[in-house]
Amino acid sequence: MANSVERYFRLLHGERRMRPGTRAWCPAADIYRTTDGWIVKVDLAGVRPDELEITVKGATLQLSGCRRDTFYGEGVSYHQLEITYSRFERTLRFPCPIEGASVARDYRDGLLILHLRSEENCEERMDDQD
Amino acid sequence: MAETRENIEAQAREGAPQAVAEASPEAVSEAVPFEISVLPLQNTTLFPETVVPLAVGRPRSVAAVESALATPEKLLACISARSEQVTGQDATPADLYSVGTLVMVKRMQRIEEGLHLIIQGTERVRVLEWTQEQPFLRARVQTLPPLKVVDGEVVEATKRNLQSLIQQALAMLPQVPPEVRAAVMTADDPVRLAYFLASVLNLGVEQEQKMLEAQTVDELVLLAHNYLAHELEIMQIRSRIATEAQSEMDKAQRDYILRQQMKAIQKELGDDEGGERAEAELLRERLSTADLPDEVRTEAERELKRMERLPAAAPDYHVIRTWLEFVLELPWRKSTEDKLDLKEARRILDEDHYGLEDIKERILEHLAVIKLRPDAKSPILCFVGPPGVGKTSLGRSIARALGRQFERFSLGGVRDEAELRGHRRTYIGALPGRIVQSIRRAGVNNPVMMLDEIDKLGADYRGDPSAALLEILDPQQNNTFRDHYLDLPFDLSKVFFIATANQLGPIPPPLRDRMEIIQLAGYSDQEKLHIARQYLIPRQIQENGLQPHQFEITDAAVMLIATRYTREAGVRQMERTIGSVIRKAALRIAQGEAEQVSVDASDMKEYLGAPRFYPEEARKELPAGVATGMAWTEMGGQVLFIEATLLPGGGGFTITGQLGEVMQESARAARSYLWSHAAEFGIDPEMFKGYGVHLHVPAGAIPKDGPSAGVTITSALASLYTGRRVRPDTAMTGEITLSGLVFPVGGIKEKVLAAHRAGIRRIILPARNEADVEDIPEDVRRELEIVLVARIGEVLDAALEKLVANPPPPIPEATRAERPAAQTEPEVIRVREA
Repeated sequence: MANSVERYFRLLHGERRMRPGTRAWCPAADIYRTTDGWIVKVDLAGVRPDELEITVKGATLQLSGCRRDTFYGEGVSYHQLEITYSRFERTLRFPCPIEGASVARDYRDGLLILHLRSEENCEERMDDQD
Repeated sequence: MAETRENIEAQAREGAPQAVAEASPEAVSEAVPFEISVLPLQNTTLFPETVVPLAVGRPRSVAAVESALATPEKLLACISARSEQVTGQDATPADLYSVGTLVMVKRMQRIEEGLHLIIQGTERVRVLEWTQEQPFLRARVQTLPPLKVVDGEVVEATKRNLQSLIQQALAMLPQVPPEVRAAVMTADDPVRLAYFLASVLNLGVEQEQKMLEAQTVDELVLLAHNYLAHELEIMQIRSRIATEAQSEMDKAQRDYILRQQMKAIQKELGDDEGGERAEAELLRERLSTADLPDEVRTEAERELKRMERLPAAAPDYHVIRTWLEFVLELPWRKSTEDKLDLKEARRILDEDHYGLEDIKERILEHLAVIKLRPDAKSPILCFVGPPGVGKTSLGRSIARALGRQFERFSLGGVRDEAELRGHRRTYIGALPGRIVQSIRRAGVNNPVMMLDEIDKLGADYRGDPSAALLEILDPQQNNTFRDHYLDLPFDLSKVFFIATANQLGPIPPPLRDRMEIIQLAGYSDQEKLHIARQYLIPRQIQENGLQPHQFEITDAAVMLIATRYTREAGVRQMERTIGSVIRKAALRIAQGEAEQVSVDASDMKEYLGAPRFYPEEARKELPAGVATGMAWTEMGGQVLFIEATLLPGGGGFTITGQLGEVMQESARAARSYLWSHAAEFGIDPEMFKGYGVHLHVPAGAIPKDGPSAGVTITSALASLYTGRRVRPDTAMTGEITLSGLVFPVGGIKEKVLAAHRAGIRRIILPARNEADVEDIPEDVRRELEIVLVARIGEVLDAALEKLVANPPPPIPEATRAERPAAQTEPEVIRVREA
């Protein structure tokens, strides 16, 4: 086992590493705080809006869906693949409940932008949590 | 995700039949079968929720991946081949397990030999049927539902056990980065943890497959636990084996590292010039420049070579090094040049010692011999004399006169032969003997070496040091003296040995035989006066911080110290007494009471108190039966009186006064002689029968022995029997024989000096001691009448007064006989010298 573990960690430090993953891939996301709520920016280009599902529950916002490649067919073959397709899933955690907030979605330059507007001010709760 | 499936189906309908993938990983309850490209894996199994790099080179596998890439979701199924499948051949569906993992291709890069992939397992699939074998495998599969937990507590317990096992395993793998430890330890999903372990553990396809096919979380976690426990055990065994195998090597390595560190430290401290190597170099250099005899050089080089082969930590290393240093320090060929100026030598000897003409003569003779023949062997002298006569300082003075180094050590109490000759090097803490050590201290091979107190050598079961001295002191043998430690012959023949002793008696005869015995008798009062004037007083003045002009002492006062305040053959006590006089004078000067102090005989009482000694004075009047004898003691000579008295009606011969056997025998011989020659001396033979005799020698507490009282006892007895008194101004010594001869005895000088001190002015000595008369200082001799005698008759003639002073009592009637003629002789002849 020692050998295999070593091998594993060698891989970890190399270009190609094996590591525990999930059942789906995770898009990268930025979260901004605004005066009236939140802005969530997700690196999620190439996803058809109808294949994106947004669920708000408690203090979490779950994004899931599937990115599909359409550039295939006769005469086309892959030379290099770096974009992950198939199912993705991302759960974002907020410091306070956002249930009931209005969610406006927008695609800008290939980035998915979500505006969450909430009446509820969670300043105090945030302080509490700190 | 119905849309997804629909899309795929739609695409398939649109003319991409190979890209049909029917799956929704989240379709838990009713998994719809779908067709998908299969990538067979050899020797490994892919688990869900793991990200793995994969190289694909086989054309069939590349084709399978290509087909997957040509789908919107880039999905394919990885299914392991059974372990019995022959490596290097394309796997057939029969070789493959039926459960595999659905993976998504996250990255792909083309390389010359094929593809580099990073794939991520998503969920498990079961093959329902194989739909295609060429150009790549395809199958209809169905996703398997996520694992269910049967008993949450069992799962949790097993998970915790698993984590503790992981902890143990990680403890044995210090190189694992801490963040990975944390990730593994805090993983809360047992399934993910188990899959991760399975992918890491290298369990072999069979077991990996078993885990992949586990139906429940309980089963999966238990499998992971068992496998890990097994692996951990193997790991521990391996580690133990490795530890055991390496422990020996580790020790050697550790030693080496420590030694290197020590070397570095020594270098830092600057007390090392490059370590043991340099040490050996240094020794070699010294060896090459040292002036050594060939034999010594060969041996030393051999030892040095041996040393170089040893590590510095070896005990032998230091033994050899110490030995080599000792060898190099010994003056094998180095000697001082003798000062051969006889006049100068004489001057030095005279300067240091008063009198002792014999010895000075002997030294000068030796110098003369060396002058004529430089390679002459040094003499071996033995000074015998009472304490304080200057034996040791004479040795020092001889060294000075010769210009040689002086070394002395005392043999008093030495009872181990090894003290002199050293221990063999095999012993721990072995040291060279005193002789060789002294030579090293002297730094030359021809010092004057003084062996003090040779008569006080001990001997016990460990050996007899005097036997070792036999070799050392034999000029024929000591040129190849072998010290046990050195184990090399050293030439002692150039050493000027001087032994000292207080008595000759305890020195073993063979040893005595090897030395030239020089007797140092005690000093006469006159000599003591000279010594005090020349040496003791100036020295004491200096030692007590006075200037020479500040202290004066008259001869009479010095004489008084010599006779009434001290009694000794030497001058040690006298020097101390003079010192105390001077200290008292110094006190007065220091207190400002006087500028200068003069001491006369009349002041002595004030300085030293009442005189401590009253010399054994010659008795003014001796009754018949008492004679004055002379005895030799370690302190010099002494006058002693022998008293005899008649016991009327008694019988026998009583002898008292702690007399030794020899002396008692000589008393009996004296009586027998007188008895047998009664007529000759005018003694009534009946006296011997009629009276008992008691002979006593005071002081009764001091043991006395020796034959030299023979003539004195004879005189006392003759006086007793004849009634003629012994002259009170006469003292005598000599051994007698039964036939009436007088034999010579020793210690003449001391005896005569003591008698002179006691006021005796007439001495009877054996004729054959005539030579010893020369030793008596001139000034004493002048005041003495010395009568030399060869027979007892002559003794009695010289000792007894002619006049019968106290006639012996009448003889008891029974034995009455006629009176001897001598008794009636009325003549009075008294001779008295001025």
